[in-house]
Amino acid sequence: MRWLSDHVLSQLQASVQLPDLAGTRYRAVRFLARGGMGTVWLAEDAVLGRAVALKILELDTASGELAARLSREAMVLAHLEHPGIVPIHDAGTLPDGKPFYCMKYVQGQSLDQSLPPTLPERLRLLQRIAEPLAFAHSRGIVHRDLKPGNIMVGAFGEVLIMDWGLAKITKITEDALHKPDTSLSIVAEHRPWPSPTPSDEVPPTAHGRILGTPGYMSPEQARGDSGLIDERTDVYALGAILRFMMTVKLPKKEASRAFNLRPLNAISEKAMTADPVQRYSSVQELSADVGRYLQGDPIVAYQEGVIERALRLYARHRTAVVLVLAYLIMRALFILFSRQ
Amino acid sequence: MALEAQGDVFPATRYSVISAARSGDPTERSQAIDAITTFYWKPVYKYVRLRWSLDAEDARDFTQDFFLHLIEKDFLESYDPSKGRLRTFLRTCIDRLFLNQSRDAHRLKRGGVPARQAIDFDEAERELSQMVQQPSSSPASPEDYFEKEWVRTLFALAVEQLRLHCESAGKLVHFELFAGYDLYLYDHQPKPSYASLAAKFNLSVTDVTNYLAFARREFRRCVLQKLREMTGSEEEFRREAQSLLGVQPK
Amino acid sequence: MMNKILLGVILGAILGIFDGLTAWFTPEVRSQLMGIVIGSTFKGIIAGVLIGIFARKVQSLALGIIFGLGIGLLLAFAIAQMQHGHYFAIMLPGGMVGLIVGYATQKYGASPTQQRSY
Repeated sequence: MRWLSDHVLSQLQASVQLPDLAGTRYRAVRFLARGGMGTVWLAEDAVLGRAVALKILELDTASGELAARLSREAMVLAHLEHPGIVPIHDAGTLPDGKPFYCMKYVQGQSLDQSLPPTLPERLRLLQRIAEPLAFAHSRGIVHRDLKPGNIMVGAFGEVLIMDWGLAKITKITEDALHKPDTSLSIVAEHRPWPSPTPSDEVPPTAHGRILGTPGYMSPEQARGDSGLIDERTDVYALGAILRFMMTVKLPKKEASRAFNLRPLNAISEKAMTADPVQRYSSVQELSADVGRYLQGDPIVAYQEGVIERALRLYARHRTAVVLVLAYLIMRALFILFSRQ
Repeated sequence: MALEAQGDVFPATRYSVISAARSGDPTERSQAIDAITTFYWKPVYKYVRLRWSLDAEDARDFTQDFFLHLIEKDFLESYDPSKGRLRTFLRTCIDRLFLNQSRDAHRLKRGGVPARQAIDFDEAERELSQMVQQPSSSPASPEDYFEKEWVRTLFALAVEQLRLHCESAGKLVHFELFAGYDLYLYDHQPKPSYASLAAKFNLSVTDVTNYLAFARREFRRCVLQKLREMTGSEEEFRREAQSLLGVQPK
Repeated sequence: MMNKILLGVILGAILGIFDGLTAWFTPEVRSQLMGIVIGSTFKGIIAGVLIGIFARKVQSLALGIIFGLGIGLLLAFAIAQMQHGHYFAIMLPGGMVGLIVGYATQKYGASPTQQRSY
């Protein structure tokens, strides 16, 4: 029996874990992540010579429902072409029968791993997160699992929203996902993979099934009330992300600055109201209110008192106020001395 | 190895050594003990050397003793798969036997280990000295070391099984590619590229990719087969398969 | 947002009027108050135009402040010369007015690109 050194042993353990990509254009490089639906691998596209990420369903644990969900996720991504949504390149079935799809390999860190150091930067980041969400909502797609772990921030501050596995299609738009002539053309070179059955065309989120992540899940999601899920569900999650951004420790220098957080608290509270009707009706509205806060303007979610308004205006025009006050004081002093 | 040459070790109804070791059929029982011995003698030897600081000769005697006790005292009869892993159970038996023997000062040279193939204790001793020389790769405790040796033996047996399988299927080149790339026999040299392997074996790079994929697929199957033999229950097998062949975040 | 020159003119005029009105607290010149106010307003408007033009050409808060301060001091100096004295009492407020107009035109004035409509 051949003796295997520690080095060889770890190589072998790594190699048996590699997915079987024979016959495809991809070569597995290393494991990236494990999610509820399977694993994500860094691979090399041998044709284009670029790094890609492969999401592979582990058939050992997969039910037909999971395969259909992966299929739907791929279809959703294929129809959401936006700089802030991870693009999908390919989809199919591996030689061992496992469904997969290929997407852009995103280099960066998730939001829960790297928050910008200052509050204004975090808020501007939140606005950038809202943009691809708004786009998805305009196409009738709700993410339903928005959380810091599913938002990648690149080296240049670019945002990519990942993991659309739980996305709900709230309406069939004109270029609907399941037109026969478009849905599987991209996978022609591979074996047929689980295409959504007609019952899957509007996602089969049965009433009573709870999908999402605690802490970022809206009350209607937690109840499994799928009929109430729409873009306001993502508004809730975005409000929770705002709260996360505000509560995760800021560097000392930032924390000592006199930010009035009451308006921001009001924004997140409005976004996270239990009744969807009381929330912002869209992520753009939430983003606009955050923008007003950044500009020093009054926000929709918060009724400020007279003193607060004065303080806000002072904070916004501090230098001008100080200069004018200095001028008035100087004038008063001149008048005083001239009288003497 | 005689076992592998027979193909599947156990009848389809017997999925693990435990079932076979408890069989009424003496041949089946003998095969099961053989399989356990083949699998465990090296981890046992190295473990007692480290855990109980036995010298090489005492460790050799104890190892032989242990496997004889395994047969004569029917250790496996008391094993309950629902209560823990087979290897944890065996390790506990090792510790208990050692303590009993130390207490009774009753350790006799009992004779050879009951396995059909030769047991090379010198080889085990050499491997042990290599581990000692590389403390950075040493596990934290003797228990961890036992675990690691268990995995090492599992993979080594699977490699042998793969080689036999490829030989019998006329796909020796597949195994040689696997040995050259994944077994990384060029331990202290740069890992060969697909292109260099293709040139060496007079193949295209695509063929190298496909042959390696085949070998890895078969190797994975061999590992799973060996694992199934050496686990006490289906549940344990699934757990171990997930742990060993599922994904470990780096 | 307002045009920088216009903002400079309005602000310069307002501050000029205010500046002129403070002469009321000096009894000796109270009788000439109207003339003082008109002169001060005119000075403020000239300063506002010059500072506004500068702000259109140079987008820099620091330079805008410095230029405003300089123009304010210069015009105030000219006034003080005509008054044959009270240099400090005239130039300091004059400089401050210029500084304020310089700051405001840079901070709150619309740059030419912002004003274009499509």
